[in-house]
Amino acid sequence: MISGVLVYSSRGELILNKFFKNSLKRSISDIFRVQVINNLDVRSPVLTLGSTTFHHIRSRRGDNMWLVTITRSNANSAAIWEFLYKLDSVMNAYRLDREEALKEEFMIVHEMLDIMLGGNGIPIDTELNSVIAQMSVKPVRNVLESPDSIDMLSSTSSPSSVGGELHFPKFLKKRSSSFLGQGDSHSDFSDGNKISWRPKGIIHKKDEVFLYVNERMNILVSRDGSILKSYVDGTIDITTHLNGTPVCRFGLNDSLGMQSEDQKNWLSQQDEHSHNDFENKNCFPKAAAGSVLLEDCKFHECVSIEKFNKNHIIEFVPPDGSMELMKYHVRDNINLPFKITPIVAHSTRDNEVDYRITLKSLFPGKLCAKDVILHIPVPPSTVDCKISVSNGNCKFVPEENAMIWRFNKFNGLTENTLSAVTVSTSDTTQLSLQQWTRPPMSLDFEVMMFSNSGLVVRYFTISSRDSKHRAVKWIKYISKSGSYEVRY
Amino acid sequence: MSDQRVFARYKANEIVTDLQNFGVKKFKSNTTRRKNALRKIIANLTLGNYGEMSLLFPELLKFWQIEDDLEVKRICHEYIRVMGVLKPQQAKEALPFIMDDFKSRDGKLQMLALRTLVLVPLREFSDQAFDCIISLVNHKAPPEDVTRMAIYALLDLDEIDHERVLGLSSILHEIVRLQSSPPEVVVAALHTLYSVHEKNANMEPFELSLDLAFNMLELLPELNEWNKATVLEILTTSVVPQHYLDANEMIELTLPYLQQVNTYVVLNTFKFIMYLLNYVDVIKESLAEKLSNSVIALLDKPPELQFLVLRNVILLLLSRESSLLRLDISYFFIEYNDPIYIKDTKLECLYLLADKETLPRILEELEQYATDIDIQMSRKSVRAIGNLAVKLDEDSVHDCVAVLLDLLEFGVDYVVQEIMSVFRNILRKYPNNFKKNVKELVKHTEVVQEPESKNAMIWIITQYSDIIPNYLDLFKVFSSNMFNETLEVQFSILNSATKFFIRCPTKETEELCMDLLKGCTDQENNPDLRDKAFMYWRLLSLTKMSGTSSALTFEALKSVVDGELPLIEMNTKLDPTVLEELELNIGTIVSIYLKPVSHIFRLNKTKLLPPSPVLNSNKDLLPVVDNSFSPTGANRNRQNSESQSSTKSRRTAMMDDYDKPAEKINQLKGKRKSSSNNPSKLSRKPSTLLRKLSMKRPFS
Repeated sequence: MISGVLVYSSRGELILNKFFKNSLKRSISDIFRVQVINNLDVRSPVLTLGSTTFHHIRSRRGDNMWLVTITRSNANSAAIWEFLYKLDSVMNAYRLDREEALKEEFMIVHEMLDIMLGGNGIPIDTELNSVIAQMSVKPVRNVLESPDSIDMLSSTSSPSSVGGELHFPKFLKKRSSSFLGQGDSHSDFSDGNKISWRPKGIIHKKDEVFLYVNERMNILVSRDGSILKSYVDGTIDITTHLNGTPVCRFGLNDSLGMQSEDQKNWLSQQDEHSHNDFENKNCFPKAAAGSVLLEDCKFHECVSIEKFNKNHIIEFVPPDGSMELMKYHVRDNINLPFKITPIVAHSTRDNEVDYRITLKSLFPGKLCAKDVILHIPVPPSTVDCKISVSNGNCKFVPEENAMIWRFNKFNGLTENTLSAVTVSTSDTTQLSLQQWTRPPMSLDFEVMMFSNSGLVVRYFTISSRDSKHRAVKWIKYISKSGSYEVRY
Repeated sequence: MSDQRVFARYKANEIVTDLQNFGVKKFKSNTTRRKNALRKIIANLTLGNYGEMSLLFPELLKFWQIEDDLEVKRICHEYIRVMGVLKPQQAKEALPFIMDDFKSRDGKLQMLALRTLVLVPLREFSDQAFDCIISLVNHKAPPEDVTRMAIYALLDLDEIDHERVLGLSSILHEIVRLQSSPPEVVVAALHTLYSVHEKNANMEPFELSLDLAFNMLELLPELNEWNKATVLEILTTSVVPQHYLDANEMIELTLPYLQQVNTYVVLNTFKFIMYLLNYVDVIKESLAEKLSNSVIALLDKPPELQFLVLRNVILLLLSRESSLLRLDISYFFIEYNDPIYIKDTKLECLYLLADKETLPRILEELEQYATDIDIQMSRKSVRAIGNLAVKLDEDSVHDCVAVLLDLLEFGVDYVVQEIMSVFRNILRKYPNNFKKNVKELVKHTEVVQEPESKNAMIWIITQYSDIIPNYLDLFKVFSSNMFNETLEVQFSILNSATKFFIRCPTKETEELCMDLLKGCTDQENNPDLRDKAFMYWRLLSLTKMSGTSSALTFEALKSVVDGELPLIEMNTKLDPTVLEELELNIGTIVSIYLKPVSHIFRLNKTKLLPPSPVLNSNKDLLPVVDNSFSPTGANRNRQNSESQSSTKSRRTAMMDDYDKPAEKINQLKGKRKSSSNNPSKLSRKPSTLLRKLSMKRPFS
């Protein structure tokens, strides 16, 4: 399928080429360089010349290298781009996303490609942990633990250091024992079966599981304040250090799961503990009371999809280390974390534009958002802005034609106001201000222990034959901005 | 020496010295240094330094014998693979070493050796490769990955010796039939068989019996994501349902895989289900719902994959009269930071999704995009508004025109030009509805610069000359400069001048028309333009003779020059046979270009729906029913509740609905300050200095 793989530096220097067809010549790499890398106006991630097709991605890590494949027939583009992104993350795990490192250790990538692509350039295995297991060189240990998201684990490399931030619902412990019993009887994963993603006999000093609920909030608000679209894309990532071959199981408060029979059962039992179970009630105003409608779930291959469809339990034998367990998509009943109310007007004199913006946080007062940045576009002819803010720090950045309003910390249920006026160049006309395209304002933020969708992990159990002691379980909710745009 | 950079051009003898210096095996430190020297060879091959590197062949062979380090072996093999293409004769000397590697017990080495044998285009190498593969496949229990490698290697060898591969195909058939080998091996055998059939034009399309197909589907849970996707890819078109039940059962078995993370798996599942839907009696509403949701969820992928999914959405929207997909238009609203290729594609989706109900929201969006910074984007959205006006019915066209007129006021020249071009189409479809707007349009005569919009403007002026008092003045803006125009504009100027003259033969129009005709026949070099001018001239003179001998009546002349134009329609539909083929190629490269495979890849076969007693002849007639039977009973409630909420809440949702009283309100304090750092700080300093000085003055 894939006839050749090329890796270029961000400037377009060829660092690696590996061909799986003897009909390919090295000169083909020049064609891509000329047509795509040196071409400033590229309008497609795929280029077909004659019967040769180049698919490319730009790595978003390290030195932003170009990863390119060459194919000679009507190959499957989905397979190719998925493969390129997997290659990117394996290279990242080996810290080969830097140009200088790759120039020394390119033979490691040759080995990777030999493992990931079978004969005829067909992808056969790209799962990070499995590839690493087959490699003769192992990456530096701590990289293995946080393979694809530095931000995910950067603050949480060990549980002790994060104490306050991590949330550990009490009911998780209480519930686990009762689920253990019924779990083993109908488990799909008897020890006899070989599980391709988990070798036997893994040993850890301490049994630990970290569950991360990551959400990205996307919203587009029109001029009159109506919401044109709003949805949450979420992923649940998991990092496990467990002995043997454990079966993990957890349930979410999704509306379908809540309806099924055994869940109702669970709810009635649940009432007994209700006084201490929902310690986190404040964080999940809607969710704790109700349930979330998951539009679509996608799972890592280790999750038994049948079981999920039948009774909405997510059951799996995790590969050792970190991975993305599932993805979901929510559209209804979303908890908006911020409300932006912009008033932008042209004042008639002096060709100024007048801004008055309130930014209000709608999440509970106990919580606190960090890295809140509001990006406020100004007309291109602006040379300066006179700004006054009630809090935070706002600067005019001429390179971006925007004012950047920045908060290191933003408390819940707090309102802040910005008032500003632009100063334009003297040759600016009223007309050119009117013709200004007014790109939307966009907001970046990160709120810990808040879930935009209201999704809550209700219980999490681990059953394992080999484990002598109970595993420690940690759950962390992180809500971030995806594309949070407001027109005005 | 060893701290020299690996990735740089070297002369052959520099590397030879390196290798000889550290050739002695005694010291451990030498191993890494030697390896570094060897790596330099591969780096130089990447840099294209073939001439120098080919000299190193004997050196390399020396190391091949004495080293057992895997990386060194890998370097040797990589070297032979590259050099084998350039200098086949030399490569032959390495053959015994490769065979030594193959005979070793180490699976990794065996695979390296096999790959090299396949990649060097030499008879001797491929002969050896065949022998190796046969010995591997017949061997009792070789490691799985080696067997799999061997089977896939047959695909490469097929290009060299098709007959010999065919001879081996019975072994592969046996592996697929018995299913006793490890699942990876079965998939590899199946894949190889399928690809060999696909690659060779003279072979029939690959077929799989229903029993074996069901076996493969039951094997799916044990396979990894790539193999799952491969199996689903192969099953599309190679298994032919003989009964509705077959198709339905297979759909049930594959549905769960819509929920995988890997786009390759999801799209192939999608493709397989779409294929099977050609062989069912009814489509369940819940299935349509599931398919739509899984597509939407894929829009969360990295941009390139998002792009692919969007292109396939276009394909699916085009494929049926009323699409199977239930998509909310808001997913296709453009985000500011979307890459340009995604913006383009979303715009196309919006255009296709527009109907009476969604039009207001879509128009609002398109108006927004028309003022985008990217000129192409802005033009495309204007074009889309215009096309929607022509595509939809008469009620909608007024909304579209209102938006266009709004944009006209915006006044940016490329937007104006684009509006002219699309307005011509609207006026052609609804000649009488927008007469009052024509005056507004012709105000912009001076602005239009591009041939297409000039053409459109000339056409509008000509068509509505009866309601534009100064039409001749406007027309002269173009005609006075006729000989600098592009050919198409020249054509329309000529045509319009003739029309004016015929409609109202005054002295002024006659002069204008005759001047142009003369100019074209005397000065113009382009034969087409000259001929056209001559034709008009002849037509005019034939009727002009008047009297009884007139060869052409005035009416006839009018109908030739100024006749009724045919009604225009927006045809977005693709040829049904092309669509059928594209649906079988969901997720592949052609699904991006939306062109038949044979147009892009001449050697690839065209996929067709295989005949079966239950094949639907017209899929638009296929009923979609709200099913009472569904795997999860809760599904239906959910759909209902969702459709309600989507119609009610989504329309009216406002930012204010989510509002909550703030616990703390920070008030503005202080005045607005200039934020650019350089001027403010500097300007203040002298003044403070001044003040201090003046304070001190009394004391001094």
